[in-house]
Amino acid sequence: MKDTRVVVALITAVTLAADVLVAQRGVDPQPTGGAPRLGGPNGPPLAPAAPGRPVPMLSDGTVDLSGLWTDGGSAPLERLLKPGELKSLMLPWALKLYESRDESLDPYNNCMPGGPLRITGGFAWRLVQHPTVNATHIFMLQEGNAHTYRQIFTDGRKHPEDPTPGWYGHSIGRWEGRTLIVDTIGLHTRFWLDSAGTPHTERLHMVERWTRPEFTTLRREVTIEDPGAFTRPFTATYTARLAAPGNEIMEYFCIENNQYEIPTERPAR
Amino acid sequence: MRMRFGVVLAGVGLLGLVPVAAHHSWAAEYDMNKPVTVKGPVVKVEWTNPHTHFYIETKDEKGTTLWNFEMASTLSLERAGWSRKTVQVGDVVTITGYGGRNAIERAVAATMTSADGRELFVGKPGQ
Repeated sequence: MKDTRVVVALITAVTLAADVLVAQRGVDPQPTGGAPRLGGPNGPPLAPAAPGRPVPMLSDGTVDLSGLWTDGGSAPLERLLKPGELKSLMLPWALKLYESRDESLDPYNNCMPGGPLRITGGFAWRLVQHPTVNATHIFMLQEGNAHTYRQIFTDGRKHPEDPTPGWYGHSIGRWEGRTLIVDTIGLHTRFWLDSAGTPHTERLHMVERWTRPEFTTLRREVTIEDPGAFTRPFTATYTARLAAPGNEIMEYFCIENNQYEIPTERPAR
Repeated sequence: MRMRFGVVLAGVGLLGLVPVAAHHSWAAEYDMNKPVTVKGPVVKVEWTNPHTHFYIETKDEKGTTLWNFEMASTLSLERAGWSRKTVQVGDVVTITGYGGRNAIERAVAATMTSADGRELFVGKPGQ
């Protein structure tokens, strides 16, 4: 083949060494399948651990949860439960759907919102309490994907009787000591609960318990109740990490140039 | 499979890679059994999300081939200190990566090297 240089065989050891080299130098470390994509992870660098640093408190007696965080909702539920537990809780239709789902079908990969769990995914997200003291609203501003927000009402209101189902639902929050409890209903089924495709129905009811056990850590314990999809409620725990100082939410619109729905076609100018 | 000037296709599959991806299903789009190396001028830069794309042109006696190499998001690149100006139209680069399942020219980048041999978009900017 004239003008073509073909390497007929690569020594496996050389190949592996090169890959390790790449893996150490700025490729995305998220273990979701495939090989390196040059350029690094989406999320911001993490704040250095600060053992013993007091958790900030507000003058109203609540914990200050505000800040720029990363993760706290991206892990597939199956990984957070005992082996086999998630599937054992699924009703037959849900299990069948779960096992048929392929991540290429995930609405999140087509730039749609990921629901209340995944809004705190692998990108940066900012928790905003408004006003800071005696907050009536808490916002979670998502950097990635749909570049959107979730709002939690902390002014004492109740859920509406028949909320129109949405991507993030209707969330109300209250404090129990140092724990923020968020209750959410009113979710539709156009998103997947997690990247593995855990199904749910409009009967989904989520109760989150947010705490800040350390200065650099948020703990999020989520109880998922959906008698339309699961035989009983179950609880999963996520951890969010504080971003390093100096980082901010950056602009990111997944819809801008998502070539995912054009699966590796020949490029055109 | 077409093979053109400046294109090196490794003839063996790669073993033992750490599975990683930025946003989408890597495996659904790209084929680890299609490692590629392409050298040519950058003819278009899409500094966009969810991922950036660098278009490279190669030529041989059969004509011109346009390559579309996908890389990480703008925010991951900018957080590492690079910008839309780090690699510009007209720069000659060598990119290694993996070809697309449907069209090898629609590829994902794993390394990029400048004409003077500097590795780009890895480590610290300027290094």
